[in-house]
Formats: sequence, C-alpha cells, structure tokens
Amino acid sequence: MAKYILKRVLFGIFSIVVVVGIVMIMIYSILDRNLIFAQDTNYSKTSNNRRTTYSMEQWEKYGYLDYVTYSDYLTALRNDGEIDEDTRATAVKLGYTAESDSDLTAQYTALFTEYYESQGYTVVRLDAVMAGKRLADGGTAALYAYKDIPVTTRLLEYFLNMFHVDNIHYVEENYPDADIGEIGLTFTLYDPVYGGEKFSPAIMGNGTEYKYLLYFTDSFPYIHQNLFTINLGLSYTVNRGEEITITMTKSQGSYVYSTVLYPTGLVEESANDLHSARYSYQSVTGESSLALYTDRFTDDYSNVQTVKSGLSRMGYSFIIGIIATILAYALGLPLGVLMARRKEKFADKLGTFYIVFISAVPSLAYIFMFKSIGGSILGRTYTTFTTEVIDWRYYVLPVVSLMLPSVASLMKWLRRYMIDQMNSDYVKFARSGGLSESEIFSKHILKNAVIPIVHGIPGSILGAMTGAFITERIYTVPGVGGLLITAIQKYDNGVIVGVTVFYAALSVVSIIMGDVLMSMVDPRISFTEKAR
Amino acid sequence: MEEKFHSAKESGLSDAELFTHIENDKLASEKITAPRYSYWHSVFRTFFKNKFNIVILLLLAAVILMAFVYPMVSSYDPYANLMDSTSKHLTPAAALQKYGFSIHWILGSGDAGQSTFDAIWYGARISIALAVVCAVINMTIGVVLGAVWGFSKRVDQFMTVVYNIVGNIPYTLLISVLVMLFSPSFWTMVFALTVIGWIGIAYFFRTQVIIIRDREYNLASKCLGTSTFRIAMRNILPFMISLIVTLAAAEVPSYISYEVFLSYIGMGMSSEYSSLGNLISAAESAMVTPGWEIEFWAPVAISAVISVVLYVAGQNLGDAADPRTHM
Repeated sequence: MAKYILKRVLFGIFSIVVVVGIVMIMIYSILDRNLIFAQDTNYSKTSNNRRTTYSMEQWEKYGYLDYVTYSDYLTALRNDGEIDEDTRATAVKLGYTAESDSDLTAQYTALFTEYYESQGYTVVRLDAVMAGKRLADGGTAALYAYKDIPVTTRLLEYFLNMFHVDNIHYVEENYPDADIGEIGLTFTLYDPVYGGEKFSPAIMGNGTEYKYLLYFTDSFPYIHQNLFTINLGLSYTVNRGEEITITMTKSQGSYVYSTVLYPTGLVEESANDLHSARYSYQSVTGESSLALYTDRFTDDYSNVQTVKSGLSRMGYSFIIGIIATILAYALGLPLGVLMARRKEKFADKLGTFYIVFISAVPSLAYIFMFKSIGGSILGRTYTTFTTEVIDWRYYVLPVVSLMLPSVASLMKWLRRYMIDQMNSDYVKFARSGGLSESEIFSKHILKNAVIPIVHGIPGSILGAMTGAFITERIYTVPGVGGLLITAIQKYDNGVIVGVTVFYAALSVVSIIMGDVLMSMVDPRISFTEKAR
Repeated sequence: MEEKFHSAKESGLSDAELFTHIENDKLASEKITAPRYSYWHSVFRTFFKNKFNIVILLLLAAVILMAFVYPMVSSYDPYANLMDSTSKHLTPAAALQKYGFSIHWILGSGDAGQSTFDAIWYGARISIALAVVCAVINMTIGVVLGAVWGFSKRVDQFMTVVYNIVGNIPYTLLISVLVMLFSPSFWTMVFALTVIGWIGIAYFFRTQVIIIRDREYNLASKCLGTSTFRIAMRNILPFMISLIVTLAAAEVPSYISYEVFLSYIGMGMSSEYSSLGNLISAAESAMVTPGWEIEFWAPVAISAVISVVLYVAGQNLGDAADPRTHM
C-alpha cells in the first residue's frame, strides 16, 4: 500500500510539473507579452527608449528574459578590477548614435556586443530620440543585450525556488554589498517583542530573510515558524511585488492596534506584527533611510506585516466552503436515501425536480434568484458580506448558495447508486431472510452505495480552500475564488502560475486521499498489485 | 375450464362440428408469431406514453421557433433608439404606452432603448447555436475516442496519463488564453470549449465500454469470428445510445450555463454577439435598480427555461432509449 501511494504521489508531482509547463508555455510563449503592461501606469508614463528599457526591466523581473544593460556590464568589469572607475565613467557615456560615440565608448561597446552575441544574446542599440535640438522625454540612447529564458529553465527554477529554507547566508547571497554585521542564529528564552521579561523562547537570525525563525504567541497554533516557506511566485498586477502565498494568507479588514515595543525602545499603538519582520535592503542602515524606519528599528529587518481584524482570503473561502460541504453532506445523504426509498413517489419526484432545476439552470441564474429571495427574508444588509462585523447572518447566503449544487449532486448520485444496489442478489437474499426494509436499507444498501460517495469527500474538503468565484463575487466575499480570474483579467502571470500549482496540488492530493479512504471503507478495494 | 367443457358437451354438438382439421403448413410453422420489434418505434412509443413529454416537446418547439424563426421574420437593431433618451429602461407598461401595443415591447426596453423581448430571442439564438455546435463536436469526438480508449489497452494507458494531466489545467485559464489569442468571436468560443472539452466525455464512455467490453455475449461474438468493428457497431453502440442521449441532454444546457459564466467574468464572446451571457452580465446592475429588474430577469429566465426544457426532454428521451424500459 505504501509503495502504491508513493508511486501515486510521484506521478502526481510529475503531472503537476507538466501542467505548470503547459501553463507556462501558454502564458509566457503564446500570449503577447506586452499584455502585462495593460494596467501598468509606470509603463504608460514612460515614452520612447525609456519605455523599451522599462519593458525589458519588467520582463526580466517577471522571468521572461535575461536582460543586461551596457552600464551593468561596465560596472561588472570595474568590480572585477579590469577597468578603473575613470574609464568606466567615460566609457558609459553613449553618443546619440553609434557613429558619434567617443573612441573609448566605441571600443567597449564593441566588446560588449561581441561578448553577448557569442553568448546567444540579442544586442540592441537604440539611438537617441530628438525633439528638435533637445533630447525627447525618455529619449536617451541605450545599449543592452537580452535573451529569452527557455520554458525548461524557467520551469526548473520555479520548482527549485518553490521550497525555501531560510538560512543565515540569505542576505550575503542576495545583497552582496549589504552590511549586516555578524551573521548567525541566536536563541533566547525571553522574546524581545514582549519586552524581554516574559518567558517566551524564540530563535532569531541575523543574515536570514526572516528575523524570527521560531517563536511563540498567544494565538492559535501558538508555535509559529518562518524557517520553511513555500514560494509560489511574485504577483505583478494583482498585488504588486507581493508573494502569492502572502496574498492568499494575509489577514484582511481593518487594523487591530496593540501596544508594540519596537527594537529602538519606542512604544506605540500599532498594528505591526514584529514577528513577521523580513530583511529589507538598506531600509534602516542606508543613507536615505526614512525616519519611519530608523525611529523604530535598529537593523534592516523592518518589513513587517500588519495585524488585521478579518481572516485571510483563503480563510474566508475555507470557512464558507467547509460549512457548505458539511451541511451538503448532512442534507444530501439523508435526502438521497429518502428519494431511493420512496422511489417514484412524491418525495422522489420533488427531489428529481430540484436536481433537474439545479443541473439545468445556469448557476449564475439561481444564485441571483437565491440572493433576491434570501435578501427579502434576511434583509438586504446580509446580501453584502463584510469583514468588519462578525455576524453569522452574513454567512448564511454564501453558504447556502454554495451548498445548493453539492446537495443536488449528492442526492442524484446516492439515489442512483442505491437504486442500482436494490436489485442485487444480496438484497433479495436479505429480504428473503426476513430482514425489515429499513434494516436492508441502512445496513446493506447504504453501506455499499456510499462507497463511491466517500471517494469525493477529501476533494470537497480540500476544494473548499479554492473558493467559489460566482458566489464570492455576488456576495462580495473577499475570498480566494476570484484570484485566478482576477489574475487572468490583469495578465498577472506570476499569480496564474502560482494559483495553478495550488489547484493542481490540491486536486492530486484529493484524488489520492479519496482512493485511500475508499480502500479503507471497502476492504474489497485494494490497490496492491497482488490483489488485482 | 371444466365448466365450459361440460357445457360444450351438453350443447349436443359432435366433435366434428366443434373442430375443423387444418393441414400441416410447413411455411407457416417457420414463422415466429411474436410482435415485430422495432427499436426506434419502441423508443418513441415509450417516450410519448408519458403525456408530460408532449408538453415538454411543445415547449421546446416554441423555444426553437422563437429563437430561430422569430429573428428571421422580425428585424432587430439594438442601437436603433440609441439617441432617443426617452426610450431607455422603460417598464413594459411605459414601453407599450410609448410605442402602442406590439409584441416587441411587452418586456420593456434596455439601456440602449432596445426591445428586451427581441434581445432575449436574438441572444437565445446565439447561445443555443453555440451550445448545440459545441455539444455535437464534443460528443462526436468523445464517443468515438472513448470507444477506442476503452477497447485498446495501449491507448488506455496513454490516455489515462493525458487525462490526469489535462484535468489539472484550469479550464477557465485555457479558455481565456484562447480568447485572448484570437478575437473573441463565435468560432473562437467553439474552439475554446471543444479543444479539451471532449476529454471528460471520452473518459465517461471509456469506462462504459470497459464495463461491457468483456461481457459474455461479446466474448461469444468474438469466438464466432465477428470483427472488432462489427462488435463495436452492433453489440456495443446500441447499448450506448441511451447514455449518449442522456449525456447530450446534460451537455447542451451545461454549455449555455458555461457561456453565461464566461460572459459574466468578462471572458465570453465580444459584445457584438449579444448572447444570453452578455445580456445577463450587461444587465447585472439593473437587477438592483427599481423598475429595471425585468431587463436582468428576462434573459436569466429564458436561459433557465431553455436549459430546463432541453434537459428534461433529453433525460426522458434517454430513459426511453434504454431498451429495458420497453417492456
């Protein structure tokens, strides 16, 4: 069994990789890459050559291509000690056109072109754009080289970067010229966030990405860690520059203020969560650091999350989804049994009418119908979800709307399976043995009919995490359901890939768990080779 | 019986008067006197036995007549009243008062002053056409490939892997990429909905074929030397007809529903195709505006009616197509 599951998991991982590969080909290679600038105000503000170089910078940032400018090249040469600062400063000045370059510049541009063309890059020289006798806005001459990143490389890097283990060399590797002081881990029994008096062990790092690697708080699950993080990629337009995992899991709503003691000793009513501190390059030690940071923090670990009153996107989706799933099973199963027992009678016909209605009518239509009916019973206020007020009535309509189709499908399939079982020989035998009808139904038919239903349980529980787009949009629930669609509408490739991985992983896990659960419920089902 | 026999005897007639001798007719004895069985005849007899089905069929005929014949005989220009500000968002009563009694205005007018009644039937025509075209393409590919998939074990191994992978690609994403690549026209939409839409149907039929592939009667057929193609066509396909009809009945409404969903999230056909989905998403704000509700509910109701009628007619035809119900 363990071997079989391992095989399934490995195949699942393989299929996730293939799916991500297909999605990457679709969005990075097939789609027009200029689409990502559709809602970028910085892009529309720039013009001429600056717009071209800005596009290149953004494409590099979001993994389309590898982009090197001429000045980067010269800086690298200087850092390697091949040329001195004076040569660099002179050579970096490009003429308006290639012909008007100074001799030194011409010499280095030739070197640059030769070097990068031999590496397979495309070298582009943009001549200055003139408006009359002056340079036009953003019209500075530019020289750069770029190379598209092949899908295979991108795929490999994506999965290599997905599981991130924080280590003390993080800052060194990512910001070589950062001055971080002595790197290492420290263990303290008295967490400085609580003033250093309360007993609360914590592991803190210097040189790591997160300052607090392991710590305790008063809220569930009490022990928290930042050591292992899953990185699904960066968002481009949905939440600019933010990681997708954070977009899905950070709390929403209004700020929750508490008394915070900052490392500098400043005490303030603030919503900042110091435990979430991340390294932010030269935010405190830099020359142009803002007083906002220097007043509060003593080191560069100043990028903190805020505490908000609401749940995260995934939290809202999951709460609504899980209640809907539990209620759907609690209602759908007895109703399905009832329909099968009263086959061709009124209850069955009424149930069939409901099933036909739900399967045939567009989901959008019946959710709207339900919203207007529910709104007139509960009151219009409760048709618009809010994160500010905690009241169960806000949850009623989204939960019920989400539940309607699951109840219908459970009823339909359970009825079908039970009626199929009703003509089996074992049922006739049980009946001839004198068992009562209710005994036959509950002890024999139901147990056999419910096996295929069991297969879907892990799927519906995990599926609750992915949210439901229509329900969430109609009731304005700030859930995770719309993330994929928003990302598609805003051409946010990072989020599309990240959400695809998330969906695919959930679907693979739920199918495997469904099979395992089914073999636990029904001993006749075995996945080992021998029994087959 | 006993009583009758006695009374016949008592009537005083001899055996010769009671019975006539008939010659042994070898030709007649070869004939089977069971009633003739025609499959489709039985299907329709079973189908029409239920009077409810006749009502559903009449409704279906009315819907098709309105969606396909009505637009041919009436001209409809959604932008005809665009410049007339008094013609917009009229309730049925106000529209009838303004234009006099005419079938065009019994549901009032929309935000461009267009007739809601005409708009929903033009929309229904596009939506039904899209759903039927997609269902036909997907069902054809799905049934044929599903049969091959179920028959050949080598194809089965390969296709199961493909199915597991393709099943994980977000369908919405695939459709939106295709819609963004090409112009969001009718045929792009058909392409987007059919490019992987068949795989679920094929998988369903693959399972059904596997279930009956190894039944004894097929084994017997094979032993007698029947070709695989003939087994597929004569032994297995008839078994599938009721499934095909049932599934097709569920497919058509599902595409209508999916088109509505895609238009709602802004990834449907472009606005020049005023499909039901586009009408619903365009009128979403009208739902909460007093006096304008009918603009929203009319396309919603018509899409619901079309879907329910098609679904019920198909399900019942599917039930009738199952030979086990012919007794």
